[in-house]
Amino acid sequence: MKYTVPVIMCLLLLPSLSKGQDWVVPEERKGRLSTFPFTEETRKEGERLYNINCLSCHGTPGKNNSIALVPPPGDPATEKIQRNSDGEIFHKVTVGRGQMPSFRSVMSAEEIWKTVSYIRSFNRDYVQRVMQIITSSAYPGAQISLSMAYLEAERQVIVRAMATDEEKSVPVTNAGVRLFASRYFGALAVDEEKLTDKNGVAAFVIPAGLPGDTAGNVSISARFTDEEVFGSVTRDTVIQAGLKNRAGSLVAQRAMWNSVRKAPLWVILSYGIGVLAVWGFILLVMLKLRDIYTVGSALRGNLRPASDQEPTNKQEAI
Amino acid sequence: MDETRFNTPGEQRKIDSIAADILKNVRINRSFILWMGFLSTVLVLCLAAYVIQLREGLGVTGMRDFTSWGMYIANFVFFVATSLVGMLISSVLGLIGYQWVKPISRIAEIIAIAFAAVAGLVIISDMGRPDRLPYVFMYGRVQSPILWDVTVVTTYFVLSLLLWFFPMVPDLAISKSRLEGRPAFLVKAYDILSFRWEHHEVQYRIMKQAIRILLILIIPTAFAIHTVTSWLFAVTPRTGWDSTIFGPYFISGAFVSGTAALIIAIYFFRVNYKLQKYLTDDTFDKIARVLVLVSIVYFYFNLNEFLVPGYKLKTGDAIHLRELFTGHYAPLFWTIQLGGLIIPVILLLFKKMRRPLPMLIISLFVLCGAWLKRYIIVVPPQAHPNLPIQNVPVEWVIYKPTLIEIAVTVASIILVLIIITILSKLFPVIPIWEMAEEENEKDKPFDKQ
Amino acid sequence: MSKEKQGEDNGRPDLEKAVDNSRRDFLRKVTLAGAVTVTGGAAIYSGHRFEKAKHNEGMVRVLTEDNRLVEIPVEQMRDFKPDLKMLQTRGREGIAGRRWVMVIDLSRCRNARKCVEACQSAHQLRPYEYHINTLVMQESVNTPAFFMPKPCQHCDNPPCVSVCPVDATFKRQDGIVLIDNERYLVCRLCIAACPYSARIFHWQEPTQAEADKDKEYNVELNVPQKKGTVTKCLFSADRLREGMLPYCVSACPNGVFYFGDENEDAVTNGTTKETVRLSELLETSGAYRLMPELGTKPRVYYLPPRNRIFEFEEGEKKEYKEDKA
Repeated sequence: MKYTVPVIMCLLLLPSLSKGQDWVVPEERKGRLSTFPFTEETRKEGERLYNINCLSCHGTPGKNNSIALVPPPGDPATEKIQRNSDGEIFHKVTVGRGQMPSFRSVMSAEEIWKTVSYIRSFNRDYVQRVMQIITSSAYPGAQISLSMAYLEAERQVIVRAMATDEEKSVPVTNAGVRLFASRYFGALAVDEEKLTDKNGVAAFVIPAGLPGDTAGNVSISARFTDEEVFGSVTRDTVIQAGLKNRAGSLVAQRAMWNSVRKAPLWVILSYGIGVLAVWGFILLVMLKLRDIYTVGSALRGNLRPASDQEPTNKQEAI
Repeated sequence: MDETRFNTPGEQRKIDSIAADILKNVRINRSFILWMGFLSTVLVLCLAAYVIQLREGLGVTGMRDFTSWGMYIANFVFFVATSLVGMLISSVLGLIGYQWVKPISRIAEIIAIAFAAVAGLVIISDMGRPDRLPYVFMYGRVQSPILWDVTVVTTYFVLSLLLWFFPMVPDLAISKSRLEGRPAFLVKAYDILSFRWEHHEVQYRIMKQAIRILLILIIPTAFAIHTVTSWLFAVTPRTGWDSTIFGPYFISGAFVSGTAALIIAIYFFRVNYKLQKYLTDDTFDKIARVLVLVSIVYFYFNLNEFLVPGYKLKTGDAIHLRELFTGHYAPLFWTIQLGGLIIPVILLLFKKMRRPLPMLIISLFVLCGAWLKRYIIVVPPQAHPNLPIQNVPVEWVIYKPTLIEIAVTVASIILVLIIITILSKLFPVIPIWEMAEEENEKDKPFDKQ
Repeated sequence: MSKEKQGEDNGRPDLEKAVDNSRRDFLRKVTLAGAVTVTGGAAIYSGHRFEKAKHNEGMVRVLTEDNRLVEIPVEQMRDFKPDLKMLQTRGREGIAGRRWVMVIDLSRCRNARKCVEACQSAHQLRPYEYHINTLVMQESVNTPAFFMPKPCQHCDNPPCVSVCPVDATFKRQDGIVLIDNERYLVCRLCIAACPYSARIFHWQEPTQAEADKDKEYNVELNVPQKKGTVTKCLFSADRLREGMLPYCVSACPNGVFYFGDENEDAVTNGTTKETVRLSELLETSGAYRLMPELGTKPRVYYLPPRNRIFEFEEGEKKEYKEDKA
């Protein structure tokens, strides 16, 4: 309870969140539609995806058991969520806001649409409109391709989108394109989303300080933001635009915590010399026991001459 | 021209009388067998607990993830500490030239041998996988204080053994002809171990050189053994252990517990072996003064160890000290500090208290206090780690030793008693030749050439 | 050297024909370092779905000998069982050129404990045995309480490794601190030395010890677990080798965890799978490390619990009871 006030304060300070109920989706995104019809199969797949990605916050649809957050995530079966258009739901899942994560990198567009299919299965009044890709696309029947060039001096990557059919090749204009650098666990967005110009060209700036591999190579790839409109066309290439990775191994230097072969020299020396010295003296003392025995044998008169010399020498030495 | 010692009839008579006093205890008699039988029975019972631990794993102990070092390690530290008395008596006091340490130096070495040997076994009892002990030698990391500890405990044990054995060689030669009625194997052993000792000056010179090397060598080794033991704790960033004075703090504490153990031992030898003539009231008075001195030094280190962090009260220290001073461990802590350190020192300042029987009682308190002090050093700092203990069974939070742990610890103490008994029953506990030499010096100044 | 040879002995698949021409040069030294078959079970992890969605069907990503991730067709995969010696060698070496780093965003942690559960099931732990534990923290009475997932910090100056007498716990070139059960001596000094209480000990028989007793020991997964040994968070070294995020990271429903390679200056969020610049994330969020005064140099960064948009609710205190044999 004692955190209610600071939490509310935080909410008031964040203008985007203070709008609360109205999460405005850009006009051009509102009308987007799925390119495939929702079937029992898509609903099933959507349920699976929903259970993995959405259930932990939104709860089981229709059970009204979404968890308590501010603003509340809401039950997808309720009117509040169902009155969104397909495009609005798709956009909100894709982009996310506040505590609602962006699922852009988690699910493909197709998977998000399948999730929408599942959500819509709780709405009896829902009638689906399917986007007819061929008719609605600006480039019916065309093969869409991306090409890429790197301008080293400007540190710019130029991406060009072209639509080609049997007769001619035309630039794809006003299409959102994004550029990614490949990283170990995923793709790192380089620069922002760009719209292609009238020549079908979008230019991305490679930030200084983007690390590459040991040779400075970075694998980059370009793709359309609206994959269900333009298809999942990607273009990969390797450019030498990154910093060279010179970090090396973390266990190279001698250290207390390193393996015994990489122990600090002073530790090896002090330990080694100490042990050798003490045990050397212990050996010396043991030898003196033998000397005592030799002397005793000599005194008893049953000694061979050769050993007689030894203790005598020893005494003089000390 | 004759360079053989103890060859005049007068000297021979002295030797005879001293040897008779001391060798009368070197025998396998009924009380020895009964005592050993008792010790062995208890040992076997306690070892059964260890067998259970070996079979079931360390889960049978009270240790858990947060307090992962318990009674065993406390016991180990106590054993290492007590074994240091060998170095203190023979080496430090002996090299300074105090004559009164001569009759007790061999007893001190016996204590050192017994405690150092069993300390190694105690560590093994704490290990869940004793079969992997050879890994220390195969893959030993020279940076680890455990490796240093294994090294110095071994070295110290060997040095103590040599320091016990070397000055005994003349005694074995003296005794071997005076062992009528003892088992033949003992006579044979005396003969072999006396290394053809003929009391010749050359032999004495070689022996004294060897002893001098050992006496000097054992000082750094003994300091190392306990400093390294303290570093097992001090090299960790744990509040309560993360202290720069842990080395001297442990060593000064070691002298206290070792001296107390020595007093208890010489009291028993004096009474049971009827050695009042050699372990005199004066010896007790002197060693009581040593105990007072080392206790005051230890008190000084205690002051440093608790006052400085107590002044600053850094987060972790504040919790740790509150637990010790007023919290869960307060009764134990104050009992130890008062009953095991401060009150004994005050009592021993009085001459009446520096007599054998009162000293025995005081030393028993000091020794128990010393054991519990190790427990206080080892256990409480683990109960309050930097991050909170959450989402675990409640019984994991506070360490309580189990019956198994207590039994295994008792086994280690029994083992110490067995070693002391064997060494003191089969070999002379007081150096015969040194006593004779001392009497000669009293009679006529000894010509050292 | 021996590793490469072993790979060949175990039937190195003829990858070169199958793979895209442009990548041929990368693949010269490809060996299938480990059983990289992505099983049906793993498919429920979002990591795999991501791979499937973003890459061509029928292709899987594998790590080559020279530590590059490449795609090869599924049909080129061979089931390959690495033996103990190889598991040990590569487990101790680590992955060259990488420096793993984890970022934990405390403003998002709601104590769902999915990280804990995923980790415990992967590493065969009991409900009260933790490689990662979410703690309720409160610095002082006037500062708010928050939840803090606490894995091993994988310090660059690890006190636990310094004190080990037999190299049973060790640091790898990629920064991960691991434990070798086969070497472990049970002195437990490492447990005492860790200021983060990250290490736990198997006081009891591990849950699946009986079923797994013939399984080859994988030091990167620390499975099969053995009674009387110590264990702790491994940054899921086995998953990293397969190009997948750690178990806890991908299990979190709230976007708390980021994981990545410091050398690439990139970390990937386990929930959204979004990859961001590490340096930017640390800089803009006021990142810090636990107990910097100890000089342990952890590889785990925390983002402070500010601007939380949910209420702190501790929920029911669960009682944990030790299993009795």
